[in-house]
Amino acid sequence: MILSRSEAKQITDKALSLSKADSCSVSLGGHERGHVRFALNSATTSGFQDDLTLSVTSNFGKRSGLASINELDDDSITAAVRKSEEIARLARENPEFMPPLGPQEYLESRTYYESTAKARPDKLAVLCDPVLKEAMDKKVTAAGFLDVGAGCAGMATSNGLFAFEESTGAVFTVSARTSDGTGSGWAGRNYHDMARLDTKHLGQVAVKKTLESQKPIAVPPGKYTVILEASAVCDLLGLMIGNFDARPADEGRSFLTKKGGGNKLGEKLFGDKVNLYSDPQHDVAPGTIYSTDGLPATKRTWIGDGVVEELIYSRYWAQKTGHEPVPYPTNLIMAGGSTSLEEMVRNTKKGILVTRFWYIRMVDPRTLLYTGLTRDGTFLIENGKVTKPIKNFRFNESPIAMLNNIEAMAPSERAAGSEVEDWSVSVPSLLVRDFTFSSLSDAV
Amino acid sequence: MMKRRVFVKRIASSVVVFSAPQLLIKATATAAQDTYHQIGPSTFRNLADLALRTAKGLGASYADIRICRDRREHLSAREDRIESIQNSTSFGMGVRVLWKGAWGFASSNTVNEASVKRTTQYALEIARANQAIQTRKTELEGLPAYEGWWTMPMKTDPFKVSIEDKLKTLLAINAAAQKRGADFCRSSMSFVQEEKFFASSRGSYIHQSRVRSFPRFTATATDKESGRFENRQSFAAPRGSGYEYLEDYDLVGDAAKAAEEARMKLKAKSVEPGRKDLVIHPTNLWLTIHETVGHPTELDRALGYEANFAGTSFVTPDKLGKLKYGSDLVTIIGDRTQEGGLATVAFDDDGVRTQGAEFDIIKKGRFENYQMSIGLAKAIGRKRSNGCAFADSWDKFPIQRMPNISLQPGKKKVSVEELIADIKDGIYIMGDGSWSIDQQRYNFQFGGQLFYEIKNGKLGQMLRDVAYQGNTVDFWNACDGLCGKEEYFLGGAFNCGKGQPQQIAPVSHGAVPARFRQINVLNTNRSDI
Repeated sequence: MILSRSEAKQITDKALSLSKADSCSVSLGGHERGHVRFALNSATTSGFQDDLTLSVTSNFGKRSGLASINELDDDSITAAVRKSEEIARLARENPEFMPPLGPQEYLESRTYYESTAKARPDKLAVLCDPVLKEAMDKKVTAAGFLDVGAGCAGMATSNGLFAFEESTGAVFTVSARTSDGTGSGWAGRNYHDMARLDTKHLGQVAVKKTLESQKPIAVPPGKYTVILEASAVCDLLGLMIGNFDARPADEGRSFLTKKGGGNKLGEKLFGDKVNLYSDPQHDVAPGTIYSTDGLPATKRTWIGDGVVEELIYSRYWAQKTGHEPVPYPTNLIMAGGSTSLEEMVRNTKKGILVTRFWYIRMVDPRTLLYTGLTRDGTFLIENGKVTKPIKNFRFNESPIAMLNNIEAMAPSERAAGSEVEDWSVSVPSLLVRDFTFSSLSDAV
Repeated sequence: MMKRRVFVKRIASSVVVFSAPQLLIKATATAAQDTYHQIGPSTFRNLADLALRTAKGLGASYADIRICRDRREHLSAREDRIESIQNSTSFGMGVRVLWKGAWGFASSNTVNEASVKRTTQYALEIARANQAIQTRKTELEGLPAYEGWWTMPMKTDPFKVSIEDKLKTLLAINAAAQKRGADFCRSSMSFVQEEKFFASSRGSYIHQSRVRSFPRFTATATDKESGRFENRQSFAAPRGSGYEYLEDYDLVGDAAKAAEEARMKLKAKSVEPGRKDLVIHPTNLWLTIHETVGHPTELDRALGYEANFAGTSFVTPDKLGKLKYGSDLVTIIGDRTQEGGLATVAFDDDGVRTQGAEFDIIKKGRFENYQMSIGLAKAIGRKRSNGCAFADSWDKFPIQRMPNISLQPGKKKVSVEELIADIKDGIYIMGDGSWSIDQQRYNFQFGGQLFYEIKNGKLGQMLRDVAYQGNTVDFWNACDGLCGKEEYFLGGAFNCGKGQPQQIAPVSHGAVPARFRQINVLNTNRSDI
């Protein structure tokens, strides 16, 4: 269920008015989402989801308890408030307790589009139709997912904070495979505004990649110059930013830990051209306007010209270390360059073009070493031309190395990864030297 | 050291208990009178009949409805303080209809007559809309109708155990780890109670209730001077069990040991990469089974239904009954009846009875059967589903998910020492670590928690920076030694992801320690970063 601002306020006011705790915070989250799923060139398991959740955190002194429900009649709200209080009374004092925030100032939200919120199932099927036609015309087999919907989120505290935001989202991903099983392609995007989603074009890209990737040859694993398309970059950077928390770094258990103690804030860890930031009002990839504990999301530079300029500081750790609280980012932008993908190919004597990555997992948190595989279109570049489709690789590589080995950057664009699929991210495709592939995969 | 805590769980032929309908009333009489429990069997039947009647009236050839309530409790502690205590309840319903061969599904967190009717109509609207892109008609096999009531057997309902007792345990875990040298320890307990009414147009009316429990911790040791740090996670697996599982498991003792081992890892020898023989403990092997046998033998992905996200499978239907998946020692079964199994349930979310549906996936090395949900069996010439459908919530469409999938013990009593005795150069691996596998399930790479060198038949010093990498079929064919049932351990995953929108599923994997010859071992240390 999607609530208006006043409806949300009415519910949070109601919950707060029922509270007998010393302090209380309440959060609301609702959504209405419709999706179409297809495989084998036909619709499969499409559906609609509708939910609304209320979470109440009650605090007695430094003791806290949280209860969540998804029924919002008066009796249920009362029961949730009482349950959270019951838990809080049983809890221990938390020396790191931080009282709920008071009123905050938020930026204007740019994440809601009425037409996206109103999309009906027939509209979604129509958007998938040209994709399936393209696949059948080219005699490949397509599978895909279109997920469109609206959400609302609200937060209020007994200290006077009230935050509310509506948002919409439209995600489309499509894969295709050749009938002999030797070729596979993919394309995908997510936007807040469904009007920006060109499903037909994405279908054409996926089908083209499929046909071009047929009958791949094996190239030995090793260190290669690579062109990583935006989806692959999105995954590695999205995973990396989750490790930008100051506390583990200060505690000696992060890639941002400094030998001898402390963290690497202010150190130059990445190449000169690397600028990574978040900006809730970004035109292409806006983020939500509030984050952890109701702290306002604002524009922040995480990496500036290769230097670590900001880390995430929880309110407690900020207070303890004398730093300003810095909440988790709600979007991620990497500034791009001006080299097109075609130019990158032209400038590469020998290299590998990667469409996207798959199944990326941390191997060593100390070096931020990740493993994963290429998928759905991996190609050999020789003397400035894409010459052959090649078998997929497993990589063992760190985004730290990747961001130190950039040779060229494309303009930043909205991207969807396989691990970071529905977050709001804009990154460039990158030309990177010395990327480590450790073994071959037979998977197509 | 090798024979640290190992749980011996015999494979129960069946733990499914059918009870008379009146037991439902007994089972729920003491529960809180929230909306789910106010519904009761007769109201549920009325709501279900309304949905099924509405669907039929609108031309659906099949329909089902699930009304579910999930309760969750999560408690976490960090060192000597409690971080959070969270309790949540999610209640709602999902209606699925098949109209002219097209599926439609709709859900709502409001459950009453008006909402049931509206949601059913919306599911039909979706099915009609999808006709435009429906080039293959979905056909369902016939299924028997059941009226069943099932409650998972357990000694102690975790939701009835006091929060104080749980907090004491968490703090004791952390204290034990810190006392034995951990700089940090974070521990948590998660509990889920899943209650489900199901009815279908085939005539089934089923109610089921089950619980799962997952205690865990991570002990961390740091070295300020070098900037190094190492973790050792708990070896306790999530289980389809009540709180008695946590009471029986020596979590505090494991935490103390984990702290010592994390500190040892800081100074352990970095591994020499190359081909080595491995002895893999079930605390690690369960995840390898999950990724290399569980996912590839899902029929929906083998047929292409999951191609866009989870992927397809190297185990194509033409390999059924033919593929030499592993050595003759390797027999792997699928079941939803194993005691303590996270996938254990009496009926799946298509209404298929699981008792009697247990099946061999790999028998003496040969690939024998896929996991199936409704509508898939015909594609491989089988008559009906083997009961592997699951939806992670009332607002999700049930899809094919893993049953418990377990490697069967060797016939003889063989100890870990005996497996090791025949190895010149190898590694003994315990605990699951990093994991990754390609979208057709050929190429995998797994880490672990603890690694010990094996030299000339003897267990040696601790190693670090180890990952093993290989190809699924080569790996299972390289298995030449299994321990006996005495070493059986049931591992598992609390949150296995699949589908779009993504769904999580709980699943258990049993195994015994096993030996694999000449597996590629990597050194994961990056000295240039």
